[in-house]
Amino acid sequence: MPAALTAPLGGALRGVPRQYVAAMAVLVAAVALAVPMARQEGILAALWALGLAAGFTLQRSRFCFASAFRDLFLFGSARIMKAILLGLGVATTGFAAIMHAAVPFPGFGALPPEAHVLPVGISTVLGGLLFGYGMVLSGGCVSGSLYRAAEGYVASWVSLAGVVVGLGFISQTWNWWWATLVSGEPKIWLPATAGLGYAGALALTFAALLVAFVFLIWWEARAGVFALPVAAATRPLTSFRDQLAHMWHAVFMHGWPAAVGGAVLGGIVVVMYTVHMPWGVTGELTRLANASMTSFGAAPPAALGLSDIGGCAARAGETGLFSHTFSVTVGILPGALVGALFAREFKLRFPRSAVRYAQSLGGGVLMGAGSGLAIGCTIGAFFSAIPSLSISGWLFGAALAGGAYLGVQTIRRIP
Amino acid sequence: MKLDVRGEVCPYPMLKAVEAMKKLKGHEEVVVITDHAPCLETIPPQAPRFGYSYSVEQTGSPEWTIRLVPLGGER
Repeated sequence: MPAALTAPLGGALRGVPRQYVAAMAVLVAAVALAVPMARQEGILAALWALGLAAGFTLQRSRFCFASAFRDLFLFGSARIMKAILLGLGVATTGFAAIMHAAVPFPGFGALPPEAHVLPVGISTVLGGLLFGYGMVLSGGCVSGSLYRAAEGYVASWVSLAGVVVGLGFISQTWNWWWATLVSGEPKIWLPATAGLGYAGALALTFAALLVAFVFLIWWEARAGVFALPVAAATRPLTSFRDQLAHMWHAVFMHGWPAAVGGAVLGGIVVVMYTVHMPWGVTGELTRLANASMTSFGAAPPAALGLSDIGGCAARAGETGLFSHTFSVTVGILPGALVGALFAREFKLRFPRSAVRYAQSLGGGVLMGAGSGLAIGCTIGAFFSAIPSLSISGWLFGAALAGGAYLGVQTIRRIP
Repeated sequence: MKLDVRGEVCPYPMLKAVEAMKKLKGHEEVVVITDHAPCLETIPPQAPRFGYSYSVEQTGSPEWTIRLVPLGGER
């Protein structure tokens, strides 16, 4: 925060760390931006608040889908993957209630509005492999690169630029992919499959989450991963002031345990769906890619079939600056920035070797292409799809793991 | 041995710390300097696998020094 801005505020702020002042300024600006949004459409402001909360949560819990998949193979660690499963459990419960209210009888062929029930087929697998490989190469997935960009990681800015390029490539070639692959792929929604209904679909999803969880515990034990001992408070917290300070540190200074991050994110996606739609971040970046190409006179052709598919990329048609996707995607940036500033973790960080920039850009392009094909990233096609009781989420997750495995083989060879 | 991994992000700081602990085999301590907060949760759990204990000290905003100390001297 420039001294010029803090100086007129005078003595009241003396002794307050500059990053705190900056955090408050960002927060005030973010809230101020909600005013024109609310004038345009009330939902925009609500989604903006949820986007901010999601960014804050991602930053505080250092939630990283890329490392969740990568560390399974690199170190046999499942710390973040277990937190993701917890978040999926929370979100599945909420999504089921929302979908049940919209479509009480799932057997008649109607899919719940906005649910991320995406095509299942080669495009899902190919998209997941490309995305999984790309996120390991670049060191973060799309949501991860968004919150790290706000923390000052310059390599993440490069990754995001790559993602926009990759999404732009798919926008230009989408109709070929549609005709060749996607149009023939079924959307499999569990409640409407094999007479499962909501009860059967929920039982199956929770059983699968439980099996995955136990498998991860075995996986960690096999690799000999140690759990860190929980540090005990050095002295008893007696006074009100002590307790308050302790809470402040727990929320704003120390990183949150991954499990807390997973559960909170699970809750946030449920509230987002209650307001309008499940969380996704590639729709807004597709909008950015398309708008950029249009301004250079290379507008992508009208995309076939996307309007019948839920999820991220299908929302890229919204016009104007503020849109529902803008709120839940761009909102991550100020949310994460506030978190980083309060924790005093903001810093412009430049990679020292040029190889890292190449990794970020290449990984970003692959992630863009992968999420374009799969109609979503680790958020839209995975974290919002499994709770939508869609088979696509599981298949995309498995393909992400495959891509991450291949990515690990590559980065082991890059010093 | 000093490892200055400022500017590097996951998984490189951990990979380099693990590589150093493997190479030194508990004969020497490893001091890791990082500005990447996730390292605080990824490097310490690796220490006991290679016969090391760890301590973390915040040495800047944001900067941390993770000291990996051999357990019980020569192994």
